[in-house]
Amino acid sequence: MISKKKIAVFGVVAGALTLAVTGQVIAHHAFGAEFDRDAPIRLEGEIVRLEWVNPHSWIHMRVQGEDGDEIWMVEGGTPNVLLRRGLRRDCLTPGTPIIVDGYQAKDHSLKRANGRDVTFTDGTKIFMGSSGTGAPDDAERLRQRQERGRC
Amino acid sequence: MRISSALLALAALALPVALAAQAPDGWQVPRTSDGRPDLQGNWSNATMTPIQRPAGAGKVLTPEEVAEIEGGRQQFIQENSQDSDPDRGAPAVGGEFTGNALFDAASGGTGGYNLFYIDAGDRVAVYNGEPRSSLVTIPDNGRVPALTDAGRARAREVALARGEHDQYDNPENRPLAERCMLSFGSNAGPPMLPNYFYNNNYTIVQTPDHVMIMTEMVHDTRIIPFGEKPAVSEDYRPWFGVSWAHWDGDTLVIETTNISPEQLRAYGQVFAGGVGNPTITERLTRVGPQSLNYEFLVEDPETYTGTWGGEVPFVWMPERVYEYACHEANYALFNVLSGARAQERQDSGNDPDRE
Amino acid sequence: MTHRPPARRRAFGNAAVTALFAAVMVSVSCEAQSADGARGDIPRTAAGKPDFNGIWQAMGNAYWDIEPHLARPALAMQDGPVVPVPANDVLAMGAVGSVPSGYGVVVGGKIPYLPEALERRNENRENWLDRDPEIKCYLPGVPRANYMHMPFQIFQSDSKFFIAYEYAGATRDILFEDPGAPEVDSWMGQSYGYWEGDTFVIEVTGQLDQTWFDRAGNHHGWQLKVTERWTMLGPDHLMYEATMEDPDTYSEPWTIRMPLYRNIDPNARLGQFKCVPFVEELMYGELRKNPIRKP
Repeated sequence: MISKKKIAVFGVVAGALTLAVTGQVIAHHAFGAEFDRDAPIRLEGEIVRLEWVNPHSWIHMRVQGEDGDEIWMVEGGTPNVLLRRGLRRDCLTPGTPIIVDGYQAKDHSLKRANGRDVTFTDGTKIFMGSSGTGAPDDAERLRQRQERGRC
Repeated sequence: MRISSALLALAALALPVALAAQAPDGWQVPRTSDGRPDLQGNWSNATMTPIQRPAGAGKVLTPEEVAEIEGGRQQFIQENSQDSDPDRGAPAVGGEFTGNALFDAASGGTGGYNLFYIDAGDRVAVYNGEPRSSLVTIPDNGRVPALTDAGRARAREVALARGEHDQYDNPENRPLAERCMLSFGSNAGPPMLPNYFYNNNYTIVQTPDHVMIMTEMVHDTRIIPFGEKPAVSEDYRPWFGVSWAHWDGDTLVIETTNISPEQLRAYGQVFAGGVGNPTITERLTRVGPQSLNYEFLVEDPETYTGTWGGEVPFVWMPERVYEYACHEANYALFNVLSGARAQERQDSGNDPDRE
Repeated sequence: MTHRPPARRRAFGNAAVTALFAAVMVSVSCEAQSADGARGDIPRTAAGKPDFNGIWQAMGNAYWDIEPHLARPALAMQDGPVVPVPANDVLAMGAVGSVPSGYGVVVGGKIPYLPEALERRNENRENWLDRDPEIKCYLPGVPRANYMHMPFQIFQSDSKFFIAYEYAGATRDILFEDPGAPEVDSWMGQSYGYWEGDTFVIEVTGQLDQTWFDRAGNHHGWQLKVTERWTMLGPDHLMYEATMEDPDTYSEPWTIRMPLYRNIDPNARLGQFKCVPFVEELMYGELRKNPIRKP
């Protein structure tokens, strides 16, 4: 079982000398205000559309519900970061199956959720993150992923 | 947290790389056709170094401290890049909290989204070769000075005004960034500070008459003419203030007053809730092919018990600054407000949508 | 090929006048010749390029409707007892909400819509309140941004060409190297610019299909490519031309052309029109805890 820490989240590592942001971080909005911590979801389905927009990208996916197909919107982050890393929207094509875990929007009439962790069906993250070691490393990692048909 | 020797070795490599951003021998600042230092291009101020100095830290970090900080980030990145369990279920009811107060506050226990969308900076700020523990360097303790009595009184008024409505009652009660009016964090400023999450990028354009600085979020432009302070009335308070510039040798000096009070109130982490009318002085000096030194000073004797300021390294960004349209696809604001209304209906027993 | 507006022919029936004219022409050297509306030397950067730095704005009424048109009572209408009248939503604006006449900026007069696209344009007009992106303070796209009722400011150096628009704080950073097909669609598009003689040509691709050309419902699709030509005519005037290509929407490329005018007021500065908060009641009012508008 994967430890909770390894589920992909954003944030700053806590530690004795780690310089976390002091003072109040004013995140641009509170996820806790948008999504319902008491309504966790796991979605498995095919990508229908990618909205590569700001302030958040959205993945539209088709999920089999009890009463037939449902279209869910899954919130992601800013595409600008991915673009600078060399990723392209077109690498994630409609029809691609993905797995999402997260929490549903507080307004349950909306089939929307945050994409706490969005992966392919083998568990690989749908997009490549930064290695933190610099652009040449990132370019090589991206090339290797693209050889496998990934972003 | 133990840092493995491999990570220490990796982080030790990081320091010379950072220092290499300093100017090579014989480097001369490129100049525009009117003979001024050329500051144009795309720049990033992303960094791990926080705005204010943590308790117990010195101004300059030791190599061990740098290794722990940057190594810790490397470890965090690696952990979160691993493949997930394809058979994982939904997360826990009640939310998943990591124990990190800042992250938990930002995500509200929902986990936000994957780390690959984040570009928070993987290095501490290196300024004139010194790895820094904080961006604030004036006063010497690296912390914003205490408020005056008047400053405290204003901060109380602001807090009281905020309390008149619940934070979800109206769009106007939401943070400016959530409304797509400004970036979160003082990106455009002034002062121009990183937001510690992503898109900490700027485009600088320079002409004989003006400097234009565009901040990626939210495509905000600061248009700064060279010359004297423009004649404006006290109550003329635009976003980003009124700025005017001059050259001090090879340093670009920008002075700003009359920042919108609403903007000052929004940046509580920088302006401590006091409103006032600070004078911000910024000094930009190109010190290397990929390095721009940015100093700032905040003077507001009515609000603070002392002048404060800091030093932020801006690093050349070869990639593009992309459009950050924000308002045009702001589903999040809709979701937050409709979620609050749905919550109220549920709490009052009137919610037809609740399963 | 440099764009040159047609030369104006002058007729002089009098030898003395001809001689006087010749003397004047000799004494005034470097006067910009042949361009219609020329007003003296074109300012140039140190590198010798025409210097577009400054605050510019369109005159005329293209932002209401880029095709030639008569004045109209309002942008949203309803059936009246005798003739159509302004719709209830705009009625209180009175003449402030009326559409002024326009001589049009479309070369040839009419946009060459394909039949379905023309129907859509007409539907846009009938549903203006719901559909015009300007109402919601959305970014205006290109070319509309250049002839809005608000000015813009060009920042030009040897290495940069940046346009800051007053309306909604829209921006364009013109790329000097061809980046190829845009990696992502955007409201203001991807701009790639280069010089053809003294004309700055900008190719704009990758615009979302949601922007309009004016308040009259004129629209485009995802395939739109805009080619702009910026040519200074004199120190305070430039000729702006934009050619639209979109085979999904139009039967052929079409062009708009209009002068743009420098704001010569020494006190002029670009204003801020960050209009997002202005439209929050409109867009989110029903989601207030206590809505002020009753359904």
